[in-house]
Order: sequence, then C-alpha cells, then structure tokens
Amino acid sequence: MEINDGNLQTLTEFMRKTLDPDPSVRRPAEKFLESVEGNQNYPILLLTLLEKSQDNVIRVCAAVTFKNYIKRNWRIIEDEPNKISDPDRTTIKANIVNLMLSSPEQIQKQLSDAISIIGREDFPLKWPDLLTEMVTRFQSGDFHIINGVLRTAHSLFKRYRHEFKSNELWLEIKLVLDTFANPLTELFKATIELCQTHATDINALKILFSSLTLISKLFYSLNFQDLPEFFEDNMETWMSNFHNLLTLDNKLLQTDDEEEAGLLELLKSQICDNAALYAQKYDEEFQPYLPRFVTAIWNLLVSTGQEVKYDLLVSNAIQFLASVCERPHYKHLFEDQNTLTSICEKVIVPNMEFRSADEEAFEDNSEEYIRRDLEGSDIDTRRRAACDLVRGLCKFFEGPVTAIFSGYVNSMLGEYAKNPGVNWKHKDAAIYLVTSLASKAQTAKHGITQANELVNLTEFFVNHILTDLKSQNVNEFPVLKADAIKYVMIFRSQLPKEQLLQAVPLLVAHLQAESTVEHTYAAHALERLFTMRGPNNSTLITPAEMAPFTEQLLNNLFKALALPGSSENEYIMKAIMRSFSLLQEAIVSYIPTLIGQLTHKLLLVSKNPSKPHFNHYLFESLCLSIRITCKANTTTVGSFEEALFPVFTEILQNDVQEFVPYVFQVMSLLLEIHTSSIPNSYMALFPHLLQPVLWERTGNIPPLVRLLQAYLEKGGATIASSAADKIPGLLGVFQKLIASKANDHQGFYLMNSIIEHMPTESIVQYRKQIFILLFQRLQSSKTTKFIKSFMVFINLYGVKYGAIALQEIFDSIQPKMFGMVLEKIVIPEVQKVSGPVEKKICAVGITKILTECPAMIDTEYTKLWTPLLQALIGLFELPEDDSIPDDEHFIDIEDTPGYQTAFSQLAFAGKKEHDPIGEVVSNPKILLAQSLHKLSTACPGRVPSMLSTSLNAEALQYLQGYLQAASVQLV
Amino acid sequence: MPTKSATDDRLSKFKNKGKEPSKLRERRIAECVELRKAAKNENFLKRRNISTLPEDAVQSPEFNTDNHEVTVTTIEEVVGHVNSDCKERQTRGCQAARKLLSRERNPPLKEIVEAGLLSRFVEFLGRDDDPSLQFEAAWALTNIASGTSWHTQQVVEHGAVPAFISLLASPMLHISEQAVWALGNIAGDGPAYRDTLIECNVIPALLSRITPDTPVGYLRNLTWTLSNLCRNKNPFPPLSAVQQVLPSLLQLLHLSDQDVLSDACWAVSYLTDGANDRIDIVVQTGIVPRLVALMAFEALTVVTPALRSIGNIVSGSDIQTQVAIDAGVLSVLPSLMRHSKPSVQKEAAWAVSNIAAGPAQQIQQMLTCGLLPPLIDLLRNGDFKTQREAVWAITNFTSGGTVEQVIQLVQSGGLEAILNLLTVKDSKTILVILDAISNLFMAAEKMGETDKLCLLVEELGGLDKIEMLQNHENDTVYRTAQGLIEKFFTDEEAEGLQTEATDTTLAFKTQDVQKTFRF
Repeated sequence: MEINDGNLQTLTEFMRKTLDPDPSVRRPAEKFLESVEGNQNYPILLLTLLEKSQDNVIRVCAAVTFKNYIKRNWRIIEDEPNKISDPDRTTIKANIVNLMLSSPEQIQKQLSDAISIIGREDFPLKWPDLLTEMVTRFQSGDFHIINGVLRTAHSLFKRYRHEFKSNELWLEIKLVLDTFANPLTELFKATIELCQTHATDINALKILFSSLTLISKLFYSLNFQDLPEFFEDNMETWMSNFHNLLTLDNKLLQTDDEEEAGLLELLKSQICDNAALYAQKYDEEFQPYLPRFVTAIWNLLVSTGQEVKYDLLVSNAIQFLASVCERPHYKHLFEDQNTLTSICEKVIVPNMEFRSADEEAFEDNSEEYIRRDLEGSDIDTRRRAACDLVRGLCKFFEGPVTAIFSGYVNSMLGEYAKNPGVNWKHKDAAIYLVTSLASKAQTAKHGITQANELVNLTEFFVNHILTDLKSQNVNEFPVLKADAIKYVMIFRSQLPKEQLLQAVPLLVAHLQAESTVEHTYAAHALERLFTMRGPNNSTLITPAEMAPFTEQLLNNLFKALALPGSSENEYIMKAIMRSFSLLQEAIVSYIPTLIGQLTHKLLLVSKNPSKPHFNHYLFESLCLSIRITCKANTTTVGSFEEALFPVFTEILQNDVQEFVPYVFQVMSLLLEIHTSSIPNSYMALFPHLLQPVLWERTGNIPPLVRLLQAYLEKGGATIASSAADKIPGLLGVFQKLIASKANDHQGFYLMNSIIEHMPTESIVQYRKQIFILLFQRLQSSKTTKFIKSFMVFINLYGVKYGAIALQEIFDSIQPKMFGMVLEKIVIPEVQKVSGPVEKKICAVGITKILTECPAMIDTEYTKLWTPLLQALIGLFELPEDDSIPDDEHFIDIEDTPGYQTAFSQLAFAGKKEHDPIGEVVSNPKILLAQSLHKLSTACPGRVPSMLSTSLNAEALQYLQGYLQAASVQLV
Repeated sequence: MPTKSATDDRLSKFKNKGKEPSKLRERRIAECVELRKAAKNENFLKRRNISTLPEDAVQSPEFNTDNHEVTVTTIEEVVGHVNSDCKERQTRGCQAARKLLSRERNPPLKEIVEAGLLSRFVEFLGRDDDPSLQFEAAWALTNIASGTSWHTQQVVEHGAVPAFISLLASPMLHISEQAVWALGNIAGDGPAYRDTLIECNVIPALLSRITPDTPVGYLRNLTWTLSNLCRNKNPFPPLSAVQQVLPSLLQLLHLSDQDVLSDACWAVSYLTDGANDRIDIVVQTGIVPRLVALMAFEALTVVTPALRSIGNIVSGSDIQTQVAIDAGVLSVLPSLMRHSKPSVQKEAAWAVSNIAAGPAQQIQQMLTCGLLPPLIDLLRNGDFKTQREAVWAITNFTSGGTVEQVIQLVQSGGLEAILNLLTVKDSKTILVILDAISNLFMAAEKMGETDKLCLLVEELGGLDKIEMLQNHENDTVYRTAQGLIEKFFTDEEAEGLQTEATDTTLAFKTQDVQKTFRF
C-alpha cells in the first residue's frame, strides 16, 4: 500500500462506513479494514489520515483505529509471524511522540495510549530515545504539550506501582530516573512558580493544576518500588512543595459541582497518597517531614465540606491519619487531650453524619444501601474511613477516646430528644459512633465478637434502642428503626439472652414496615438470631420460647414477600428457611397452607430465575417442610408429591437449567422417605433420567446420581423385573462417569448401589464388562481418586459375592490378574482410602480375601498373604495417607471443559451416610481376629508360620491385641 | 512398618509446596540492582589518605620549614621537581604532589595523571636508598588509586603492583603500611585487579607482616586490605586465596581493636556471601562461635558485619545453619531484633527468615529461644524493610513448621500481624503473606479446624483485606487472593465433566480388542 492520495481517499471512505449505524454497511467496511491491515504502510496511512484529514470525525476515527491496531498487532509473539513490518515500526516510533503532542486532546489521548502499548513492548531497549525525546518537550513552555508528555509518562510508569521487584524492572526504573527525575523536579518547581504568577488566571490555573496532579502521580510511580537516591536527595524540594500545595486554596479553582471532584481535590488526594507512601515505606527518611503533614492533613479535613466531591480526598486523608496514629513512635503527635478532642470533634464526628446522599439511597436504592451498610462494600466511604480512624486511635488511647465520644453521644442524643422530628439524624450518628467505638472484632457468622469494655452496650440498648423498636408506628423514622435493628443484629453475641428475647417480637413486627431496608433488616436480624448457639450446641432461642410468636412470625415473613420491592427478597426467604429449621415440629400445622405459598412462589420464579440466593433458600425451605412433616408422619409424603410434581414437571419440561439440579435433590429426598416399594409415578420418570442430554450438564451429575441411587435402593427389584431393558442404559451412565477424571467417583457411587441393591441375576451377565471397563481406565489414566474408589468397589463386591467370586472374575479376565491388583494396587495404596465407611468396607473385604479365599493359601498368591495382612493392619493403625502425586493437583480444573452452572447442594436435602455393611460388623478388628482364628483351625499351623516369617514386629503386636480383644487364639 | 518419616515425605508433596527451602534461601543473592543510596554503614571500597600527618614534622624537620611553600606549589612546578635529577627536588616535588592529592576538596587526581607523573612515582617506589622519597611517592599513588576505576587503572598500568608488593617488605613500617593501603585501594577496584594482586602473591606478603608486635594502626590498614581481597563476586576470589587468608582472619578476629574486628568481620561477610561451598570453607575454620560473640558486641561497626556474616551462613544448608544455632545465635538474635537501629533489626529479621526456612527441629529451637515475640513485634512496629523480612520469616515458618508450631505462631499473634500488613504498598510482600495464609489453612485442614481459622481471619479483619486484594492490579496477587476466597471462604465448588459422544441412551460396551492389562 503506497502512501498516496488514492489510498488515503479509499481509506477515508471505508473509515466513514465503519461509523454507519447500519450493520450491512458497517460490517463489510470493518472486514475490509481488517483484511488490509497486514499490508506495509497501513499504519502510516492511518497516521497520515489522523494528522491531515480535513474531517475531524475521520481524524478521531483514524486515531482509534490506529490504537486498536497497535493493541492487536504490536507485540511480537514467539514462533508467530511479525505482524507489523520493521520499517513501519521504525517510522511509527520516530513520529508518534511528535504527532501525539501536536494533536488535539481527543486524538492525543488515543496516541498516548498507543505509545504506552508500544512502550510496554519496546521501552527501553528497542526505543532508547523515547524518554529523552519526551523530556526535551518540558522546555517547550507549552503546557498542552507538557501535559501530553506527562500523561504518556504516567501510562508508561504506572505499572511500577504493582509489579514485582525484579532486576529487569529495576534496571528500567533506574534508567528512567537517570533521564527523567531531574527534569521532572525542575518542571515541578517551574509549574508551582507559574501557579503563583498566574494566580488570577483561571484558564492557566486549570492547565497548571492538571500538570501538578500528573507530576504528583509520576512521583508516586517512581517512588513506589524503593526510595530512589535522587528523590532522597531532593526530598526537601518535593515535600515542602507538596506540603504547601496541601494547604493551598484558591477560590478560582473551587467548583460548583457537588458530585465530581475538582482539580484541587484530585491534586490534594494524590499528595495524601504520596505522603502515605513515604510514611509507610520510607519512615526513617520521611520522619522529619511527617508531623507537618499530619497537621496539614488534619487542617485540610477540618476545613473540607460534606459534599460528595470531597469523598475521595477525605477518605484518603483520614486513612493517612489512621495509619500514622497506630505507629508507636508517632503516638506523641496525638497524645494531647486537646488534639484528641479536636480530631474526634472535627474529623470523626462530622464524617459519621448521615448525609442527604445516604438518605436518597435509603429510600430509592435500598439494595445498594444494604450492600454498603450491611455487607461492608463501604470501603471508600467517609464513614468507613472515620471508623478506621477510631479503631486506630483506640490502639493507644481507648480510654480518652471513649470518654470524649461518650460526651458527644450524650449531647447528640440530647439534641434528638429535644426535637426528634428535626434532629433524628443526630441519633443516627450517635448510634453509628457507639457501634464503631464498641466493635473490635466482627464476623458475618457471629456479629461483633469482641467489644470495647468501656462502652455499656446493654444500657445503651435498653435506653435508646429498645425505645425505637417499641414505638407503635413501625413506619416512623425508618432510618432510626433500621439502625436499631442493626444494633441488635451486630451486637447479638454481646447482649444478654433476655434482651434478645425481648427484641424478637419487636423484630417480627418490623417485618411489616413499608421501608425495604427496614423490613429486610428485620428479616436478617431474626435469621441471625435463630442461628445463634446456646449451651450444648442447641440453638440459643428454643422453639418453646418462640411458641407465642410462631404464628405471627410465619405470617409476617410471608406477608413481607408481598411488600413492594421484596417479592424476591433473599433475606426474607433465608429467614423463612431459618425459622422452619428452628421451629421444627411447631410448623407442621402451618405447612398445608405454607406449602401452597411456597409452590406458588416457585412457579412464579421458575418463569425467569434471576435471584440465585432467593431461589436456593426457597428450595431449602421446601426441603425443610418435607423433612419436618414427614418425620412426624411419613405418609404425608404423598401430599407433597401431589403439590410439587406439577411444578417439577413444568420445570423439567421447560428445562429450567438453574432449577433442574434442585428438583432432582428434592425428588431424592421424597423418594428416600418412602418405606414400601417405589411408586409408579417415579418409575414412569426412570427412562427419562437416563437421557444423555441430562448428563451433559455438570450441575446435574451429583443430584442425578443421588436420585438414581435412591431409585436403586427403593426399587432395585422393580427395575430388574419391569425395566430390565433399561439396565444397559444405567450401566452406560456408569461408563460415561468413570471415563471422566472429575466424575469417576460419582460413577462408583452408582455402581456400588447397583451391586448392593440389584438382584444378582439381573446383572450377572454384565459383571465381566464392568470390570474390564475399570481395568481399562486403570490402565489408561490411574489417579489417586480413582484408585481409592476402585478399592472400595472391589471390596464391596467381595463382601457381597464372596472373596472367591472376586478372585475368579479377576482371573477369568486375565490369568494372575487378582495377584497383580493386590500387589500393585491394594497393598501399596489402601492406606489412602478415606472415610470411615469406605475404610470399613475395605477392612471387611480384605479380611474375606485373607481368610475365605483358598487361592490365597494354596497358590502362588500365598506370597501376598502377609503383605496384605500388614496393609490391613496399617489401614487400622496408621494415619491416613493424604498425599497426592504432583501431576494430579490440577485435574479438576483441566477436566472442566468450560464454565457450567455449578451444582448447588441443598443442605436440608442432605442424605444420611449409608453403611452397606451396617451392624453386621461393628468392629472390623474383631472380625479379622475371629476370621483368622477360623482359618487357623481349618489348617492348623499355617497361619502362625506365615505370621512369624514375614509380618513385621509392630504389626504383629497390634494383631496380638485384636486376638486378645476377641478372646481367640491362633493354632 | 512404614511409619518412619511418612509425614515429612508428605509435607513436600503438598500443593503450592514447590518452594524447597533452598529456593527460599536464595533471595538475597538474586537481588542486585539498587535504586537506593549506597548503604551508609557498609564498608568503603577505596580510601584516600588525607591525614595531616603530625609525623611529618617529627620525621624530618627540613620538610617542616618549606611546608608552607609546598602547599602553594603548582602542578607545573611539581612536574619540574619530580622530573629533575636532584634528589631533594624529587622529594620536594613528590611531597608537594602528595599534599595536593591529600587536600580535603577537589584533589587534582586527573591533573597529576595527565601531567605524566605516574611512571616517575612508580620508579621512586623502588628507591630503597631514599625512604622519604619512597614514602611520598607511595602516598601520592595511594591517593590516585583511591579515585575512580580509571584512576586506579592508571596506577596499575604504570606497574605499581609489583613495586608496592616489594615495598611491603620495607623495614620502614610507615612505608610498608602505605603500600598496604595502596594495595587495598587497588584490590577494592573490583574482581579483576583483586585477582591480579592475588596472582602476584600479595597475600603471603601481607600475612607475613602480621606479628605480635605489629602496631595496631598498621593492623587496621592491613585488615582492611585483606577484606578488599576477599570482596566482590562474579567471580569470587579463588579458593586457594581464601584458604590462605582464613587462618589470619581468624587470628585478627580474636584481637580487641574495634576497627580491626570490623574489617575482619566484613571480610568474613564477603566470603560467606555465596554458594554453600563458599560458606562451608568459612564454617570449617570453627569461626562461627566467635562471630556470634561479636554479634553481641557493643560497637555497631562490628555488630553490622558480624550479623551479616551469620546471616549469610544461616542462608546456607541446614547443617551450616545448625552450626550457627549450636554457637548460640538464637540467644543473640532477640536483642538484635530489638536493637535501636532499624538497619540492624532488618538484618536480624533476615537471618531469622532464613533460619525459619529450615526443618521443624530448627524452628522448634527458634521457639524455645523466644524468637517469636520479638519477630511479631517487628511485624507490628518495625519499619517497612524490616517488616518485609519478618513476613518472609513467617511464611517460611508456616511452610516448614509442624502443625503444633504453626498453632503457636497463630496464638502468639502472628496471624493478626501479617493480616494487618496486607495493605502494604508492595506486591511481593502481599503475595508472601497470602502464601503464609494458605499454609496456615493447610495446617488447619489437617486438624479439621478450617472453619475456626476462617472465623479468626474474618474477625481480625483479614477477610475484608483479602477481598479487597481481588481488585489488586497485580495479576498474581489478585488470582492468589481469589483462590483463597474461593477455596476457603465460599461454600460450594463446581466440578467438571468430560463429555463423550452419545446418542439416545448412553452406551455400555467394552472394546473388542483387548490388550493385556498392566498397572
């Protein structure tokens, strides 16, 4: 592509078309540009266009296209062709800085980005003169150009703030410092002087202050990794100027905008960051300057208003003070009573006030308000910063600070009492202050776990919180009500039980409040109170204590779901779940009505599932209803099936992916409750469960396997008799699952159920194939998880069909197979089996192999007898071997083909651990002793001689112990 | 029964456990580029002799008379004197040059070199008949060699090395001493000239001057020169040279003069700043107990290099570390960690971090000697560089310690202290802390106490901080933070599935051709 007018013209036309709203025009033009971008000179044409085009739109478009082109193509990837020709690269690098600096701002920003992308690859080695070229522009005196340079430098250097230290990085920084640090310092000084000479020229000031902000940002980047020699030598220049700028105010630079931070705020904010960086990392060198900065920043805080535009500045400034006041050698700066009072009064209290912006959020954006206030996403807020400062000051001055604040709290409460309608915000601030002062440690599970002993939480609760909760009108002062509810919630572990009990009915009443925040908090507080544990690990609040309020509680919770804005309120649904779980039998009489409401809700949300947490708790609540009711009377299971199956059918038919795994879990729960044989309604569904498409979705596998297990447990015989043609499909599921490293254990769960529950004759024809599949997998990819499951399976097989059957089927597949599996798998790996039931199965299985399998005594397998016994004793006595070979750590991740809906396990659909051996063998060690005894009486002398020749002494000692405990002897 | 070291074997197989102790211990060696000012308490590479020499007056009254005159002598005059054949003028010229080179500010090093005087000065070094001339020439050359590499190079290229080495044997002690000094400057230039000197057998010549009667001033210079001969890496001084120097260093380390001790310690610190075989040569001499004793010395000039040497040694193998432990290093370190100088605290924390990278028994000895409280103090109140070293110590501790030791660490406040540091402005330190947290969780998993640790981390404000790190700009940091959150602070995890081709029902069949199974 030559650089000529014709090509420029063509390019212009296509460029224009890429801006067309009509995709049929736009797309082909974009395609065309992509198809020619590999040509030499293409980027140069773009640069020419952005420089020379008469049409401003085309110029900007060319700039954006150029930047994106650079972003896609500049990096040279090893073993891939270079996508930009070397002459083009050289031309671009030779011209781009100039071009950027002479372009209008819109284009300058694009080119500046392009430079930093190129710089990231080529600087410094392949673009050695970039910096010198940039630095010379500082002399230009044109601040449009200078700011362009500074902005580019900032995008080049800002990575120094987060990259790991390395020789390569530090060499680059060193080089940058050598060329850049001194000119930057000179520019800094010159700019400050210019600010003084142009103190009355608002336009000049604006440009100069953006320069100062950029310079301060560069200072931060260049000083981040370590304190450079240059800046240590020039600390006086930088710090005294920073200090002056912090204290500077210029009416001209103040903005009217309440939201957006102005230039002064941005600059001062960055200077606070710079001071904080030095205070944290270069304490020794910065010490002489620090007190001055503390005073300046504190004065800044005192004189800064409440507007949102100051938020970042204020929170940065407060955080600076918070980090300094915790350091022992700066303690003296804060020690003075007047200083402390002044900080509390002028910095902390004003920043804890409830502002109009908070009020708006409370009313109109309750979700956001709750997230910030309850879930702690308030990281950058003033309130949070003020809280951190309180905590910082309390490290050394807990007593004085508490005393000062107590005074404040009282006076604010006094103001409120005088005229609550006008002064309610004072009470809000007072509650917030008490909370931040009192809380020393907090968790989501327990609320505040450690409190400031100087604050009397109970007294405050009785005098100021309870009164609000008791007020007849739940809709009056909703913010204060929400505060009071939150107080109960977060101090729940600190308040005495009788007070919590006093609060419960009040909270129940607040579920009816119109304010979303208020009734949400009430639900959340109740939910948290119901999880609290008392002595003996039972719930702190008992169902009996709840009895007077049960009906009201359930009523109000379900009514709250009907309040505007709360139809899918997860806090309320969680409170419903928790109430069910707490109240247990007490809810049984309400369930017939409630199940209808829950099913109705389910039907509604299944049209368009959008609140995953709400939905999850909804299913949990369903499970609880079923469990609790059926525990009292198993025959009621039918009524649940009647209520739920129509909705379930709809969900399955419409394939509501989010809900299908839940449905399978609830169905498992229902089926497991049945005591007699499997109902026909379930058998009708059986063929559908084997459909391959269901097994494609990750989230379905665990609940489906569990459901099939329930089918086998309840209907093994029915399947064998009336659905025998489905058995290959069932085994197909098994085959699919064991082929996957991630799901093989699920395949074994299924197979273990088949072995345990299916009539022998129905699977006898498939047995050999099952083993062959397992051996194939063992051969192709043997992982620890697979081996563990495999050992459990073969031992279960041995327990069920006898050790001889196990040995025979192995050896029928391949001669000596049984010995190989024992020698290569069981003996070395049995130590890895985990889980008490799994270990028991293996112990009983191995005992059978040792004592009921003639081949182990009579054939060449005899040499494995003692090692196998030793491994069994190891299984009993040694700690579990939980090591995993290095190459297996990431299997789960590699095996996942992409993101799929995760499986959400329902806690209340939980399955009881199943022990296929059960009470038949209560102590496997005794079983071993008895079985060995039996064997030894059958062939006297053999067993003791095998033991004495090769069993190690320690193992022998354990064995003696078992024999003694079983009161048997070997002969 | 296979009970033996089953747990130890397993430890090294844990996830994220790829960091062998030896790797943890390489940190200092890898870091070379510095942005900071050269450390203020390190030793000088080269020194200029700017003493005003009261001896001048004592030695020869005649110089005294024209002393004033000489100070105003110009370089042209110096050239004239030095190049003349008159012994007196030569001496006068030489002395004038020496005085110019000894003045406090802007000594005319370059001018003297460019005036072509060096070959004359070197020639004068051989003038055994005129000790005064020898002395003045030696002094002048010493000061020129104290300049930049270029200056030193001029001195060497004019053949000064053999001349100075011969001069070491001078019966006049002050002349021999000046030669020692000059050679020190040449050795301090870098590994190349250091090795040139060593090849010229400077070491035996120097060592032969150490006698019970050698004055302490002379010994100070000599020790400093020896330290420069041990100094610098890439390459290290030849092993044979090290072997030659060590016995004398050992001897010097037992003197009481503070300056001699300081330089002798610096020499040892250079020799130990390398791979384990280098450390071994030093440890073999039995020097370690003396170094440990010197760590407890009062003077900072001795404490600093002694601590550095021990720090280097404990960065070596477990056996080398054990030698230092047996010598009592663990009872000295607590007071150094509480030293008033932050630089000493930092070095001490570094040493602790390397000891903590050792096996559980060494960690146990640390605990027994009470290193944990001062270490945690440093995490809380030390300056940033010290905190960084202390963080390494904690991470190493958590990766090699037994479950019981790790519990003790948490109970002593170690967890709280590192969690508070998660807001530091240094990506690497944050990552190292996250590693420690992950190690703690592995210990908790073994005990089935994961939930308890989760609550504790949350209570201590750590969860908030880790959550915030999910927005960190450094990729590795945010991924690691995310990993911790996902693994320990969320309830359920997704599992994967390998899909296969299927039709209406899943096929259950085995392949027809069957190979023999071998596992």
